[in-house]
Amino acid sequence: MNVIGKKVRKVDGQELITGRAKFAGDYRFPGMVYGSVKRAGVPAGRITKIDADAARQLPGVVDVLTAADIPGPNLIGVLPPFDQPLLASDEIRYDGESVVLVIAESAEIARRAAEKVSVTINPYDPILTVDDALAPDARKIHETGNVTFTKKLIKGDAAAAFEGADVIVEGVYETSNQDHAYLEPETVCAVPGRRITLYASCQSPFHIRGHVAANLNLPASSVKVVQASTGGSFGGKDDVATEIGALACIAALRLNRPVMIAHERAESMIGSNLRHAARIRCKTGATKDGKIVARDVNVLLDGGAYASESPFVTMKTLIHAAGPYTIENLFVESTTVYTNKTYCGAFRGFGVPQVTFASESQIDELADKLGMDRLEIRRLNGLKAGDANATGQVYQQSVGLQETITKIAESVETSAPTTEDDRYLYGTGYACVAQGISNGAEGVDVTGASVQMSQDGSVLVGIGLTELGQGSRTVWAQLASAILGVSLDRVSVRLVDTDGVHDSGPTVASRSTTVGGMAVLKAAEEVKKSLVTMAGLMMKTDAENIELRDGFAILKMDDNARIPIPDVATAAYWTGFPLMNLAFSKAPDADYDHDTHQGDVYIAYNYGTHRMDVRVDKLTGQVKVLNHLAAHDVGKVINPLGLEGQIEGASLIGFGFAHMEKIRYRDGIIQNANFADYALPSIKDRIPTATIPVEDHNPTGPFGAKGAGEPPVAAAGAVFANAVSDAVGVRFERLPITREDIVEAIERGNHD
Amino acid sequence: MNYLKPSTVEEATELLGSSQGMILAGGTDACVYMAEGFCDPETLIDIGAIDSLRGIETQPSDDGDVLWIGACTTISEIEASEALPRALRQGAHAIGSPQIRNLGTIGGNICNASPCGDTLAPLLSLEARFVLRSATGTRTVESADFFTGPKQTVLQAGELLECIDLPIDSCEWISAFRMIGNRNGQAISQVNAAVSTKLEGGVIQAMRAAVGSVAPVPLRLPQLEGALVGKTLQSVQWADLKAPIMAEIRPIDDVRSTATYRQELAVTLIFDALMDCARQDESARKGADT
Amino acid sequence: MNLHFICNGQAVQIDVEPNARAIDVLRDVLGLTGTKEGCGRGECGACTVLLDGKPVNSCMVLAGKLEGRTVLTIEGVAGADGSLHPIQEAFLDVGAVQCGFCTPGMVLSTKALLDENDSPTIDEIEDALSGNLCRCTGYGKIVDGVLEASERLAQGTQEHGAKP
Repeated sequence: MNVIGKKVRKVDGQELITGRAKFAGDYRFPGMVYGSVKRAGVPAGRITKIDADAARQLPGVVDVLTAADIPGPNLIGVLPPFDQPLLASDEIRYDGESVVLVIAESAEIARRAAEKVSVTINPYDPILTVDDALAPDARKIHETGNVTFTKKLIKGDAAAAFEGADVIVEGVYETSNQDHAYLEPETVCAVPGRRITLYASCQSPFHIRGHVAANLNLPASSVKVVQASTGGSFGGKDDVATEIGALACIAALRLNRPVMIAHERAESMIGSNLRHAARIRCKTGATKDGKIVARDVNVLLDGGAYASESPFVTMKTLIHAAGPYTIENLFVESTTVYTNKTYCGAFRGFGVPQVTFASESQIDELADKLGMDRLEIRRLNGLKAGDANATGQVYQQSVGLQETITKIAESVETSAPTTEDDRYLYGTGYACVAQGISNGAEGVDVTGASVQMSQDGSVLVGIGLTELGQGSRTVWAQLASAILGVSLDRVSVRLVDTDGVHDSGPTVASRSTTVGGMAVLKAAEEVKKSLVTMAGLMMKTDAENIELRDGFAILKMDDNARIPIPDVATAAYWTGFPLMNLAFSKAPDADYDHDTHQGDVYIAYNYGTHRMDVRVDKLTGQVKVLNHLAAHDVGKVINPLGLEGQIEGASLIGFGFAHMEKIRYRDGIIQNANFADYALPSIKDRIPTATIPVEDHNPTGPFGAKGAGEPPVAAAGAVFANAVSDAVGVRFERLPITREDIVEAIERGNHD
Repeated sequence: MNYLKPSTVEEATELLGSSQGMILAGGTDACVYMAEGFCDPETLIDIGAIDSLRGIETQPSDDGDVLWIGACTTISEIEASEALPRALRQGAHAIGSPQIRNLGTIGGNICNASPCGDTLAPLLSLEARFVLRSATGTRTVESADFFTGPKQTVLQAGELLECIDLPIDSCEWISAFRMIGNRNGQAISQVNAAVSTKLEGGVIQAMRAAVGSVAPVPLRLPQLEGALVGKTLQSVQWADLKAPIMAEIRPIDDVRSTATYRQELAVTLIFDALMDCARQDESARKGADT
Repeated sequence: MNLHFICNGQAVQIDVEPNARAIDVLRDVLGLTGTKEGCGRGECGACTVLLDGKPVNSCMVLAGKLEGRTVLTIEGVAGADGSLHPIQEAFLDVGAVQCGFCTPGMVLSTKALLDENDSPTIDEIEDALSGNLCRCTGYGKIVDGVLEASERLAQGTQEHGAKP
């Protein structure tokens, strides 16, 4: 049976559902000790003294490390020059800054001992807003200044085009920091040996290996990173896994004992990256017919204390600020600045949710100003195959935006209340999104994958991309199953271990199905060549007359002429035909101008249109989502269960971003670093997302597929804002739109 | 750490008197405090296994019959007990999650004295009395007098909460509870409110209202109570409630909410609880008619 | 203290500090690492186990409270022969598992619900699982999994005669 497009179980589900899957915190080694860090506790200052005597004296404490004990450069980051220390030696740039690592016989002792470490800090006035950071006389948080990264996208002549616009809308849109809030806090376990092994809850093991080795002052080959079962990541387990991974390895080598470092929940929120808070000034001009002629956007991202993935997030906001629309004249400037707050980096959506909120708000404003239908204006301006997008890139196929709009328009159902109750306000919102798939022009995009068949006909897939819950292993297994004609239960996917699989780049940018899938497909095709050649020899016919299906090599013209695949594999093995292949998938080199951000960026885009109907309680601000439709062009559905799971899960993260979740700072200290006060949605807050897949074949993906993990976050966030704005009759320009905000807006409206 | 597990109340109060240990009932607050390092008790006295501290039953008392609730009765048991007034059951249901409610006790919720504890406003609105016991004797305190500040009560060293007495007549009144938190499931109240009403033909003969999270302690609202007596419950308007409630509450801005929103919520939640009572009364009267 | 309790059907006798947390006893002393720690404050439900049949946060239970009681962890849910419980089968079939970290707690909360109520409404399911946070799925498929499991359990009961 061909399993492409079929609802299949997760290939790694059995271990997870029985509790047998090994997460990093589940490893146990003889002699293992535990690490805990002392954090700065103030957002800015200079360390004047570290006194760890009281900690050392606590029974059970085995070691105390400071920056001086780090063999390598004591720096991590994503792009050079790396700017984040593992342990701070002088400057304190945020409250969660790690200063001292304490190792003890138990996690509990380590934590208590870390609390006893005294770090004397000469405090500075913290810089807590982007405005303060950019003030001409601002203290420099880093030697390079307070601008982390700034870029411009220039297409056409926006300033001139505004002159010819009949209507112009302008606004300033703000979004807040969001925490990944994966259920498993960051955890690593380092085991010393001739080569050190790091078991890590992580997203990009090869990236971690490089940084860990550098900070050990050893070659990368001296470190092996094994990805443990990872309890969610969403972009969050890159930098921080590097940080605690390096610390654990350094301590493990010093002590010659295994070292585990597991974050507590509060540390996970304070001491690892968040989604960038953003302030987006946006201006859009259109003709009286509703055709958008120009847009000018200024994006200011609060990146917190360190650069992390900010350069890429900055770039992503540039490229996506136009949304999925043809806008011939575009000027976008995007800047990330340093502040004395928790550093910000990758989080599912990667800058796109922020700019999509601004963009989609303006589309509604334009429609209202022009008296146009809100869906119609999207259709009018929406990208089609052959159109040039924001960077001037033209796709001749797989631009399914218009079909997602059509599907949403067709599936409209009435949300009007059956009984009139003046307690409630009702509203409907629409939002469209485009999100680039692959690293694209942000970096080189290469994936290596291996496929091998044993003589018993079973298949093993190896790839350096990671399973984080998103179901990628299942997709890769389905691809191998489909090509090699064996059932899905005969296919396994290796756990990721930097010794055992090829470096495949980072598991980011919704690229696993698309770029990773292509590598698996190519490797499987090579193994298939050996099998059909062998079967051809056995059936005395040419290889092209053989197909692999249902566990057999079958003569195409005679279904009864068939040989079990294990027999073919065994014969191929003894004949010396290779049954293993390592293949690479590389995105085409981008033809891209980094000064204007014009050119070809991504191998594909995912396009989507959402509709949401809400009921707002005027007195409490409670919002009930009555209906949420999410249509996405995914090229080709590989596993409907996986796709729905991605769209539903991403949508709820988008809903949290837009309505419930907000990191609350006071004087640079996070006030709600726990799950009671940081409200990620519970099951009673879920929204009724219905997935509507659109399949516009993507030539750069396996069987035409393209990724879908991120785009619904942006669309769900924007559609919530538009639906609530519609219900309340007030344009909300700040996310999250909390219950307090809604009540306040209604009150204000009553008094006006 | 010493962990003591007495099997009788007498034993518990003696241990408490001699050790100055910390009482552990369900443990859902104590475990958080210990994990956060807010407390590091030398001795824990686990009263969770004392049978005589558990249960719900009618008992005679000097002031007439009372509904007796043992302090170690779990929140889940409160929630499930059909003998108890609706406001208290609804308040119990609003606490944490099923997991927390299966562990946590009503005595713990009371003695933790968080201004947002969800059984507190119901208990005030039911004019519950708390029986405090020490090695030297017992005393009874009105629920409205028990709380002295956030996490502070009149409990003295060596005293523990033994039981809660609900006057039987207040259990016969129609009552309701409402809360709103920062999410719909497993939320801590930004504000909670309880009302209990004595009605005749839909007219309020007497009522008691209480709110939580709008002052350092859960508050009774006597001005509101006075303003509503004699009115038809159905005719009560949101706007009627605002002035008397605002006069009595003192909400603050904090990490969980803003003072302004809390004011609005206090009014709305009292209003919604009253409407809940109105619906109960209506269906009771319909039931009586048929 | 010397502690006796029943864990996954087997009598356990161990010596532990009475103020150790139940989650640590299960994971570190008994090696039952299927019980997960997500917050350590009773706020996420990843550490849910059944104590005398009722779901509790094992991070909020001190070891001393286990004395004489019965604990069920995820390791005790599947059959001794390794066959999955119908709840586990249903969760896999509907796609209720993504990263799997909340899953053991979800399965146990579901089991506690279905043991008491064999045909729960959606509201009852949401109530029963309100203490189990999940960041991956958006919860829809988890609700589907509980509904599917309740149907399968009902069918199983019919096939095997009346319930005890």
